[in-house]
Amino acid sequence: MIEVRHCTMEFPGVKALDDVNFTLLPGECHGLVGENGAGKSTLSKCITGENRMTSGELLINGEPINLAHYSIRESQLKGIAIVHQEFTLMGDLTGVENLFVGRYETKAGFINWKKLQKRAYELMEFLQCDVNLDIPVCHLRTAERQVVQLAKCILDNPKVVIFDELTAVLQEKDIQNIFRVIGILKSRGIGIIYISHRLDEIFECCDRYTVLCDGRHVSTGEVESLIKPALIQMIIGRELKNAYPPVNEALGDVVLEVKNLTAPKAFENINIHVRAGEVVGLAGLLGAGKTELINAIYGNHKIVSGQVFVKGKKVHYTRPQMAINHAGMGLVPDERRTLGLNMVFDIKDNTTLPSMKLFRKLGIFLNHEAAAKAAYEINEKLNLKYYSLWQNVRKLSGGNQQKIVIAKWMLRDTEIFLLDEPTRGIDIGAKFEIYTLIHQLAKQGKAVILVSPEMEELIGLCNRIYIMYEGKIMDEVEGERKTQEVIINSLLGVKEK
Amino acid sequence: MSSYNEKSIKYSGGVKAFLSDWMIAILFVILVALCSLFSPQFRTTANIMNILRQASFIAIIAMGEFFVILIGEMDMSISSTIGAVSIFFAGFVVKMGIPMLPAMLIVAAMAAFIGLINGLLVVYGKMPSFIATLVVMNVLKGLNYIYSGALPISGLPEEFNYLGAGYVGVVPFAVILMIIVAAILIVFTSHTALGRSFYSVGGNKEASKLSGINTKFVGVLAFVLCGLLTTIGALGLTSKTLSGNVTLGDNLLFDVMTIVVLGGTSLTGGRGRIIGVVIGALFLQVITNIMVLVSINTYWQWVVKGIILVVVVLIDSRSKKD
Repeated sequence: MIEVRHCTMEFPGVKALDDVNFTLLPGECHGLVGENGAGKSTLSKCITGENRMTSGELLINGEPINLAHYSIRESQLKGIAIVHQEFTLMGDLTGVENLFVGRYETKAGFINWKKLQKRAYELMEFLQCDVNLDIPVCHLRTAERQVVQLAKCILDNPKVVIFDELTAVLQEKDIQNIFRVIGILKSRGIGIIYISHRLDEIFECCDRYTVLCDGRHVSTGEVESLIKPALIQMIIGRELKNAYPPVNEALGDVVLEVKNLTAPKAFENINIHVRAGEVVGLAGLLGAGKTELINAIYGNHKIVSGQVFVKGKKVHYTRPQMAINHAGMGLVPDERRTLGLNMVFDIKDNTTLPSMKLFRKLGIFLNHEAAAKAAYEINEKLNLKYYSLWQNVRKLSGGNQQKIVIAKWMLRDTEIFLLDEPTRGIDIGAKFEIYTLIHQLAKQGKAVILVSPEMEELIGLCNRIYIMYEGKIMDEVEGERKTQEVIINSLLGVKEK
Repeated sequence: MSSYNEKSIKYSGGVKAFLSDWMIAILFVILVALCSLFSPQFRTTANIMNILRQASFIAIIAMGEFFVILIGEMDMSISSTIGAVSIFFAGFVVKMGIPMLPAMLIVAAMAAFIGLINGLLVVYGKMPSFIATLVVMNVLKGLNYIYSGALPISGLPEEFNYLGAGYVGVVPFAVILMIIVAAILIVFTSHTALGRSFYSVGGNKEASKLSGINTKFVGVLAFVLCGLLTTIGALGLTSKTLSGNVTLGDNLLFDVMTIVVLGGTSLTGGRGRIIGVVIGALFLQVITNIMVLVSINTYWQWVVKGIILVVVVLIDSRSKKD
């Protein structure tokens, strides 16, 4: 249905795609994989007309496209639709309104709501999803909003649908639902390009795959005849040994202890502790209260009862500032772009934000030189890819941005690291670098709390894992009980017999 | 591993970033060059000093507003604050016989208190700053009129005139005062942790909070600073006529906003420089001046200033898209 031949895409100074070939067959789900910056998004944008390839050919349904005049508008007319991970829905409008906004059907000049409603629910039926379309979409769950977005894009009966990292923010069972929808679309002969970071998904739902690495086409083939290690190797262009660094066994005293901590509507009666040099995992589904819990420890979420002890001393923090300065805590928040970084700042200012006051001269003035040197040293140590400390952070890749969010805590006397999904939406290579970093922190005797939706990650990195379910600790696993099965049961609220 | 020198080379962002940083300065130079070329009156020392003097106090007030805009809020109440400072200062000195220096301190405390109320409403009350400061503006305006009975209070001592009309050699005292204030604020904003915090809060409040910055304190402080700097400007404006006047600040809010934005301050917060504000104030004053010199009807000033503001904001919002 789509054929891309010898596609080269050059941005000023960078070759984003270099002689890439890509073919999509009708009714297939084609997985497009590669690290961040490998060119997946660029390729999909070339197909939708958002980017214009520098050279190469594009054929849609066997018809060559005149690239000089190719645009998003034309790709839509040719039946190409794309579903983005970022929400493009209007939060205060209802699902029905969102679906039809811009193409309301009218009767005598008035919007024919009844008909639109009927069509909207027909669409839901087709997708076999049950989503309430009559309430503002901001009240819907993330997964439900994704469905609305998906429905909106298949409204025009597209022939090709591109899924751009749709599942990055979804939980396991919602992903299954998306896969089911993909199955339905496939059965209608719609071709699907599936872009994802989660490799397991490729094996679950894709028929064929294409791997890109540094803008070059590495391989295309049937998923059936593929094994995971081989795929990983192709993606990062090298072989990975020991996916996870060893767990640090030399533990010190209890650094952080939480007793009977309760916050209404978020979590209740939480008891956890972390020792120096220990990595403690927090597992749980979306809405289990993990993020709220570590924010409460950090002084950023109200608690009604319970105590927090740091090194045996009872503390009560009402502001992050107190937790940082008194207890040496550092939070790496789950939303890197909105909570972790200041997008108008450069690398140096972002890296030194929490430690600004440590670099001084004459008592009150900032020592920019010393701060820049420190920022340079820590970023080099973390293997950050950048060309200048004065470069804005906005255009860095996800993995590099995340390194800065972690680096800023390593610049000061941080003893307790609270990491909320530090590997969300970053590529495999960067993930492993973050894993190594967590290991090094533990080796240095820091206490780490790690929140992650990926069980494998928790099992690989943590000494102990607490599993939360609807605001309560369901279970605590370590040693032999640290297995996927045990964790899954607790995640879903099933008690062990 | 690349060397520190390599990675610390100032990345200017190329010609584009340089232009967006210094565009107003370049335009200012062009404007001054054109004015000097076509108007012999413009390029006299007396006229230049006059422009500088007139721009000084409004520049100081704009520096106050700068902090509020820098954190992504806005303060509409400054016009009433200017009126309050003017009328209460005159009242204290003329009617109550309080010496000038203590009277200045009292009105400064009052203005700081007004800023504090603005700040508390916005930061702790979580009110949109537009509404909160609009309310404060009107309430304060009412109080000003109640206190003064809508009449100006004249009869301030002659020596007070020095603040707005005095000279040190050929340089007006007002200009020196403005330079001192600007210099202190430049050091404050770029070389102290607290000063940098305003940028951080304006750029991303949540991220700043999670990085240990007391965002509420910084937020309130921005409004208080705005009140204090407005006091200096308002006293200077009052000294020119030696009388307290409630309407002194009535048309100034628009000019102040224009100056701050003209100086390259981002309306969404996090970006801007004190030096830009100074240049912005000079820019606007030169426009006013040249229009008077070529005897264009003064009402056209409003039209021209309006167009300037629109153009600058358009450029600002376009540059943010990249």
